[in-house]
Amino acid sequence: MQNRQWQNRFSFKALIVLALAALLISACAPIAPAADSGMEMADEGPVTITWAMWGSPAEVATHQSVADAFMEEQSDIVIEILAEPWGDYFTKIKTLWASGDSSVVPDVLFLSPIVNYASEGVLENLDPWIEASGYNVDDYWPSLLQYAMYDGSVYGFPRDIGLEVLYYNKDIFDEVGVPYPDDTWTWDDLAAAAEQLTVVEDSGRVSRYALGMEGGKWMIWVMQKGGMALDDMRNPSSCALNEAGVVEAVQFFKDMIDNNYFMPPANMSQAGGDAAVFQSGQVAMIIQNASRVSAFNAAGMNYDVSVIPIPADGHRASAAGGAAWVMSALSDNKEEAWTFLSWLQSTNGGQRIYTASGEILPALQSTAKSDAFLNSGQPPSNRQAFITEGENARMGRIGYFVEWSQIGGSFINPGRDQILIGEVGVEEGLNSICEQVDAFLEENGFPK
Amino acid sequence: MTASTSSQSSLPRWRRYRPDQQSEAYLFLLPSFAGFLIFVAIPVVASLALSLFEWSLLSPPEFVGFKNYTQLLSSDLVFRKVLFNTFYFIVTIVPLQLAFGLLLAVALNQGLRGLEVYRLIYFMPVVTTIVAAALVFQWFFNRDFGILAAAIWELSAETGLPIRPPDWLNDPDWAKPAVVILTLWKNTGFTMVIYLAALQGVPAELYDAAKVDGASAWQRFRSVTFPMVSPTTFFLMVIQMIGAFQLFSEAFVMTQGGPANATLTIVYYIYQMAFEFQRMGRGAAVAWVLFIFIFIFTLVQTRLQRRWVHYEAGGES
Repeated sequence: MQNRQWQNRFSFKALIVLALAALLISACAPIAPAADSGMEMADEGPVTITWAMWGSPAEVATHQSVADAFMEEQSDIVIEILAEPWGDYFTKIKTLWASGDSSVVPDVLFLSPIVNYASEGVLENLDPWIEASGYNVDDYWPSLLQYAMYDGSVYGFPRDIGLEVLYYNKDIFDEVGVPYPDDTWTWDDLAAAAEQLTVVEDSGRVSRYALGMEGGKWMIWVMQKGGMALDDMRNPSSCALNEAGVVEAVQFFKDMIDNNYFMPPANMSQAGGDAAVFQSGQVAMIIQNASRVSAFNAAGMNYDVSVIPIPADGHRASAAGGAAWVMSALSDNKEEAWTFLSWLQSTNGGQRIYTASGEILPALQSTAKSDAFLNSGQPPSNRQAFITEGENARMGRIGYFVEWSQIGGSFINPGRDQILIGEVGVEEGLNSICEQVDAFLEENGFPK
Repeated sequence: MTASTSSQSSLPRWRRYRPDQQSEAYLFLLPSFAGFLIFVAIPVVASLALSLFEWSLLSPPEFVGFKNYTQLLSSDLVFRKVLFNTFYFIVTIVPLQLAFGLLLAVALNQGLRGLEVYRLIYFMPVVTTIVAAALVFQWFFNRDFGILAAAIWELSAETGLPIRPPDWLNDPDWAKPAVVILTLWKNTGFTMVIYLAALQGVPAELYDAAKVDGASAWQRFRSVTFPMVSPTTFFLMVIQMIGAFQLFSEAFVMTQGGPANATLTIVYYIYQMAFEFQRMGRGAAVAWVLFIFIFIFTLVQTRLQRRWVHYEAGGES
């Protein structure tokens, strides 16, 4: 019995020792990298800039060639790439920043949306750098730089402008005998062509839809009608989706789906996304940004692009937005980071290489209007469509404040789904979205 | 724990139990205990504290008291939908999985030839990666180009009847059953294997006695099999309910929580809050609400088991 008690006391003590040891181990962990950074500081020689982005292996290869081109020009700066898949990238970067350790946080990063990070103070304000170097910010597409601004200052440079154009499969148009889309097309022309392009079998199964587009791109139609999601996309006081123009735009989108002209967005994503259904001929047209060009060219498709049709009483309204290069406020080598950043975003630097890779519409108008983009010798031939949409780019597709992701994710997107499925009427559904958004805005103290 | 003295002395000296060896034992436990402390115990406590803060990971946390909880329970309409969805999955998945698992186990326990082959076939989905399975099911359910739909379209064309395949993953009323079907496909094999083991532990003389008494096959199942495997049923029910509470991957890959949040579950909402909306504190609060739900439900089940679970097979406890 005594022995037993002794054992109990002993095991209790052992547990405490164990807990302390474990704590010690966990406390030790952050010390190691700090010592590491001290070592780096003392190291003379070329400065290393860590450059982080997400991307597929093919995209990372393009980034690497950009880094190589830069290092060839600047021998005293070494660029080290930190690439993660899209799914893990943002969590990883946030965790690195949360550590507060400047030696592990990348110096130059690819980010989106910028405002979420700028408002947290982790990004370098680029205004002083722009002023000191005379960097030309007027070369960006209209409103595009707005995307990377917070509180009146520039915090990043969008690499490209992610605006959409209408891709069409020439083979299918020729086969059906429908004239190719052009700048004069309105929603009515689109509907008329769609009726001919859609193939419905006797059973009722649709074997070809006229057009496929992601559900999230519904704002194209809304903005063409002059609509917006919120009354102010930076500091909203109320939801604006219950206005007349928005109702018409959403009704148009829903009619196109109900008539089997547009592939239901969820079906499309389950079938592999717009590129897959376009390449397999399950749709004759898609609405998407320049990112699909290289894949369609590699597949040898017979296609071209055109501007997106607009309502007779509406206007072009491309989204001025795109992921941007930013500088970490924690960077130990800001001079070198700026050298690299401003080189990346110049027609003779990174912009040209990315444009040549064929996946982007460059953020700089001078690059877009140069031969690198307009006369690359690769399809699509009507690249002017990108320029036309670019000149009409405006902000407003997304909110420029942190809570926007929750407003979109919790209220607007599910509400839009409900309308498109037909669970609620268009007007009723939009009103219900607005009720929820307004309640959320009030609860979270908007306008701020 | 300690062996008796007589057996101690019969062992060679180096194998005998010595009290002072305990410290060595704890030393061997240290790595796993440290891992548990760092990766489980401390984060659990930290998440409780975190749920009282608003934190976006990037800027310092801001103390908000119980606001995360009060908002969640009073004004968060999405959370209500999420709770409803989760309970829908629990009341469909748990009973169906138990029923199918038991049914398959009883069928396979009839002394079929090639039992191992069937067992392998039904167990295969359990070891299949959920992401791969969900992607295949996404195609399977597609209204325009999926296999399931193709069969129905074919039937419609043959018979001329206006039969339409359901738009499984686009229609909120069908998306939930689609997730249930995927989950059943994935997990029923596990239930079956556990039941099979339990069935093989039921003494044959009980069946013989029942037969002598003139019990029909159904009566033998009802009065012998079912009570004899009830401890297994209880075990499976508890772990499957917890599993259903934590449903995430199926919905994440196949439906992304849609359409119109129809398949958004509690765990999915934690993920959304923390990693999509950058609200770590609110996400932690949802996690603790989930913990309380699981705790209460498991407690209730443990209490209720006295009424229907029979511990007779092994004679112990």
